Amino acid sequence: MSRIVVDRQRCASTGGCEAVAPDVFEIADDGELVVHRPEPDEGDLPDVREAVRTCPTLALTLVDGPRPG
Amino acid sequence: MTVGLAAPDGAGIDLDGIDLSDREFWLQPPAVRHAVFDALRRERPFAFYAEPELPWLEAGRGYYAVTRYADVDAISSRPAVFCSGSGAVSIIDMPPDINEFFGSMISMDDPRHAKIRRIVAKTFTPRMLERLVDSVQQIADDVADGARRKAEAGDGTIDVVADLAAPIPLRVVCDMMGIPDEDRAMVLQKSTIILSGGDPELVESLEDFAAAMLEAGGALSDLMNRLAAERLADPRDDLTTALVRSEVGGEQLTHQEIASFFILLLVAGNETTRNAISQGVLALSEHPEQRDRWAADPELTRTAVEEIVRWTSPIGWMRRTATQDGEVNGHRFAAGDKFLLFYGAANRDPEVFREPQVLDLARDPNPQIGFGAHGPHFCLGAHLARREIAVTFRTIFDRLPDLTVSGEPSRLRSSFVNGLKRLPARLGER
Repeated sequence: MSRIVVDRQRCASTGGCEAVAPDVFEIADDGELVVHRPEPDEGDLPDVREAVRTCPTLALTLVDGPRPG
Repeated sequence: MTVGLAAPDGAGIDLDGIDLSDREFWLQPPAVRHAVFDALRRERPFAFYAEPELPWLEAGRGYYAVTRYADVDAISSRPAVFCSGSGAVSIIDMPPDINEFFGSMISMDDPRHAKIRRIVAKTFTPRMLERLVDSVQQIADDVADGARRKAEAGDGTIDVVADLAAPIPLRVVCDMMGIPDEDRAMVLQKSTIILSGGDPELVESLEDFAAAMLEAGGALSDLMNRLAAERLADPRDDLTTALVRSEVGGEQLTHQEIASFFILLLVAGNETTRNAISQGVLALSEHPEQRDRWAADPELTRTAVEEIVRWTSPIGWMRRTATQDGEVNGHRFAAGDKFLLFYGAANRDPEVFREPQVLDLARDPNPQIGFGAHGPHFCLGAHLARREIAVTFRTIFDRLPDLTVSGEPSRLRSSFVNGLKRLPARLGER
């Protein structure tokens, strides 16, 4: 299982991830990035990987394993 | 300054004779400028130049011209070391209030940059822009029909800049902000002056440039203050209303912050897309096989838009200033050093782009940095600009398939905006 990690210091809410994977990422009304599915389905993974790769602020990473704790 | 076109890759150019601060350099044809950038990238990737002379400000210590993709990206992605708050859109240090007045959050660092950016971020997300698609299409249809009428009423010619490339982004950005129709001609005129780079056709002399800039900024600021007051009293479904009502952490934007953001949006939203469109039309006329391919295949639009942005690189550079001593990719620098990130040069770096001097609308992947490289200042309007470019070119193919460029472009004398002032074209038989 993979998990999306957002570096909030880096994220500038550009919406690049939302453009690639709108079901997983959304910029909320307050401008903060919301990750709807932090542990994305197998079917989401190609788009999520593309979003991670193309994030203009390098704020996204995809790590192995479920949320710690 | 004149530079003979040596070899296409810049071999044989005497770099000692090149001065990027010489305004005349920026009037050279693109082939010459790209040949110089090729030579700089290869031989002097951190070339140092004295600052351009302006009559009313003291020049600073000079700047490094960054032309390699990897260096532009490394600097852009380390905002704590390479800041924007000393001024991102001017080589010479400006007084801080002027910086912010004209640059808004482009010339800010976090946390203020992040605060203002979050307030407006939602408006520019792909999801929100979906709602705009129909209106962008409608605007493009209207403008294209207007160009057709003008050609038919006259001698069959149009100006691609004035009749297509300028009105589309102007109407989109003014619609988003709710600018009244009667103020729009003024908005276009003032934003053109602010990004004129002192071009002699637009501003009479460099002595007058400062006064003209301030007058233009003041006029836009007055318009925004008026609109902000109107929207507070009478909210509407537009960006202006969102801005005057927005709060981040219990804090509202000040009137000055709103006015400066408006100026940024008007200027950045107009000039950039306008030049991507006009230079894109020119590029397609120079590469008819690419034009025909895109016209015949709407599926090509995604990659074609990225290639148009790479090829035209409408914004010439942004500045960063070192906050400390350090080293980047082997280049040592000192606190206070200035770097100009030349996006158009980086966008033709052969280390990243195969055959960078070839226009290939199917190029994929295309990690172009026309919207800025990695980092917090990545273009807020990138999604909107992509949409506008896509819709505009599809509309040209559909409604103006007979458009042919019929004369030489008139180029803006500016290092900051890769702009066209005019591009004559003909509608009718080829």
